[in-house]
Amino acid sequence: MWNEIFSLTFLTSLLTATIRLATPILYAALGQIFTQKAGILNLGVEGTMIVSAMAAFTVSYFSGSLWLGFISAIVVGVLWSSIMAWLSNTMNAVQVIAGIGLNILGAGVASYVYRIIFGVRTLPPQIDPFPVVELPLLSKIPVIGPVLFCNNVPTYIAFLLIPVSWFLMERTTFGLRVKMVGEHPRASDAKGIHVTLIRNIAVLIGGACAGAAGAYMSTAYMNLFTDNLVQGQGFMAVAVVIFSKFRPGWALVGSLVFGFSNALQMRLQAIGAGIPNQLLLMLPYIVTIFALISTSRKAEMPSAYTKPYVRMER
Amino acid sequence: MMKRRLRSSISTTWQTAVIVVAALLLGALFIAFAGESPLECYGVMLEGALGSMSRISEIMIKMVPLMIMALGVSIAFRAKLWNIGAEGQMIVGAITSAVVGLYIPLLPWLHMIIAPIFGMIGGALWAMIAGWLRVRFNANEVITTMMLNYVALYLLAYMVYGPMQEPGGYNYPQSSSMAESIQLTPLGAGLRVNTSVFVAIGVLILIILFWRSRFGFTVDLLGHGTKITNYAGLNANRTIIWTMMLSGALSGLVGWIEVYGVHFRLLEGIGAGFGDLAVVITLLGKMSPIGILFASFFISALLVGGATMQRMTAIPYSIVDIIQGLVIVLLITQPMIQQKLQARKARGIYVE
Repeated sequence: MWNEIFSLTFLTSLLTATIRLATPILYAALGQIFTQKAGILNLGVEGTMIVSAMAAFTVSYFSGSLWLGFISAIVVGVLWSSIMAWLSNTMNAVQVIAGIGLNILGAGVASYVYRIIFGVRTLPPQIDPFPVVELPLLSKIPVIGPVLFCNNVPTYIAFLLIPVSWFLMERTTFGLRVKMVGEHPRASDAKGIHVTLIRNIAVLIGGACAGAAGAYMSTAYMNLFTDNLVQGQGFMAVAVVIFSKFRPGWALVGSLVFGFSNALQMRLQAIGAGIPNQLLLMLPYIVTIFALISTSRKAEMPSAYTKPYVRMER
Repeated sequence: MMKRRLRSSISTTWQTAVIVVAALLLGALFIAFAGESPLECYGVMLEGALGSMSRISEIMIKMVPLMIMALGVSIAFRAKLWNIGAEGQMIVGAITSAVVGLYIPLLPWLHMIIAPIFGMIGGALWAMIAGWLRVRFNANEVITTMMLNYVALYLLAYMVYGPMQEPGGYNYPQSSSMAESIQLTPLGAGLRVNTSVFVAIGVLILIILFWRSRFGFTVDLLGHGTKITNYAGLNANRTIIWTMMLSGALSGLVGWIEVYGVHFRLLEGIGAGFGDLAVVITLLGKMSPIGILFASFFISALLVGGATMQRMTAIPYSIVDIIQGLVIVLLITQPMIQQKLQARKARGIYVE
C-alpha cells in the first residue's frame, strides 16, 4: 500500500484530481469575493451552481455545443442570483435565510426541470465533456506538465480569472466602490455612490461565476447531470472566500486545499487504503474557522457584512 | 392587552396561510408545466399524507424530530443568532447518546434517562463552540456553525467507519444495533411512531413556558442587540453562549430520538437535510412554539405526501423542495411588501 502511495503515478493522478476538484470551487469563490466584499453573504451559491449545472447540461445536450451550454449556464447563474440581489438589496431580507431558501428552491427546480425534460431513465443521458487541451512544450514537463498544462479550456479560464479579478478589485474604481459599500455604505452613499446598484452588480458577478462553476461540474468534471452533482462545492466556495481573506490569489490556495483533501480521499479509497480519511476531509473546514477568527480579530471582514443598507434609517 | 395579542396572532396566522397557499399555487404552476393536473396531484398528495393510520404515523415520525429541532433553532433565531448548524449539533448528539447505549452498561430505565441527557450535552457543547467563538473573537456564527456542520458530518463518518463500526457487520457504515430494552417503544402494532411523541409534547410545553421566563425574556432582548442587553444590566456575552447551548441541546435531543426511535443504531446520513427543514419550519412558524407546531405538521405532511405523489403520478419528489423554497422566499419578502402597502395606504389618506 505505502509504495503504491509514494509512486509517481499516484502523485500525478492525485494532483490532476486536485486541479479538477479545485476548479469549480475557484470559479465560485472568485465571484463570491466580490459579493462578500460588497457586504453580502450569499449562502445560495450551492443553489445557483446546481441550477446552472442543469442548464449547461441541457443546452449542451440539445444544441451539441458545449460553449453554448457554458454561456447559458452563466446567464442562468446571473438570473438566479438576481433573485438573491433583489431579496437582499431591495427587500432587505436576512441574507442567510434568503440563501438557504434559494438553495432549497434551486435544488428543487434543477432536479424537477431535469426530470421533466429527460424523464426517468435507467442510464442517465450523457454528453462528450470538454476535451483536454495539451499546451505545447509545457505539457511535456514531468509531473508539472500533465498536472498543470493538460487540462480543459474552462480550467485555464478559471486560472486566468485570478489576475483578472485581482486587477478588478485592487486597481479599478469599481473594485474600490465594492469595498466601500461593504465597509461603510452610508459614507459611500454620501459620496454619491449608488450603494444598491454596486451591491447588485457584486451579487450578479458572484452569480455569473457560480454559473461557470456549475457548468464546469456537469460538462467538464462530469459529462452528465445528477441531483447531487454539487455536493457542498458552493459552501466550500463560501468557506474559501473567508479562508483567503478576500484575496483572489489566496482563493486559489484555498480551493487547492479543499480540492486536495477531496482528491486524496478519493484516490486512497480507489486503491483501498484503510486510512481514516474523514479526519483529513474535516481539516479544511477547521482551518476556515481559524481563518475566520483571525480576519474577525484584525477587522478584515467588511464592516457592513450581512447588514442591509436602508437609506432612511439613521 | 389579551385582546390585542389575540388579534395580532390571528392576523399572523392569516398572513402565513396566505403565504402557504401562494406557495402551493406557484407549485401548481410547476405541476401544470409538467403537463399534469395540479388538483389531481395535490389530491394524491393529501391522500398520501393523511389517508390512513400508518400514513399519519409516518408524519409523526418526521414531525417529532423536526418540531423539536425547529424549537431549538427558534431560540437562537429570536436572539438573532443565525444558528444554521442544527444538523451538526444533532449529529454530535446522536454520537454521544449512541455511546451510552453501546458502551455503558446500565439498567434500561437508567439508560432512558442518561442517553437523552448525553445527546443534549453533545449538541449543546457543539453549539457552544460557535457561541464562544462569537463572544471571544467576534466570529460570524453563520460561518462557524456551517463549518461545524461539515466537521460533525465527517466525525460521524469517521465513527461509523472506524471505532464505532458494527463488529462483523459487513463493513456497512453503521454501529451495532441498540438493545431492544433501551429502544423507544412503538405506540401501536405495525406503527413506527413511538413514545418520542410524549417527549415532543413535553419539549413544546417547556418552550412555551421558557418564553415566559426571565431567561426567555433575555433571549428576546438579545434579539434587539447586544448593546440593549448590556444596558438592561444583563450579560450579553453569557446570554449568547447559553442561547446557543440551549438551541444545540434540543438538536442533540433529536439525535437521541433518531438513534433510539427511528434507526435503532448510529449510521451515516442520519438526519440528513434536517437542518434546512428545521429552518423552514422555524420561519414558517414565525418562531413561536404554537406556530412551529403547525408548521412542522404541514412540512412533515408535505414530505410524506410528496413521496406518495412521486410514486403515483409523473411529478417528481423535488416539487416538495420547490414548495419549501417558495415558502421561504415569500416569507422573507412579506415584511417589506406589507410596509410598502401600508405606506401606500397612508399616502392615500394624506392625498384625500
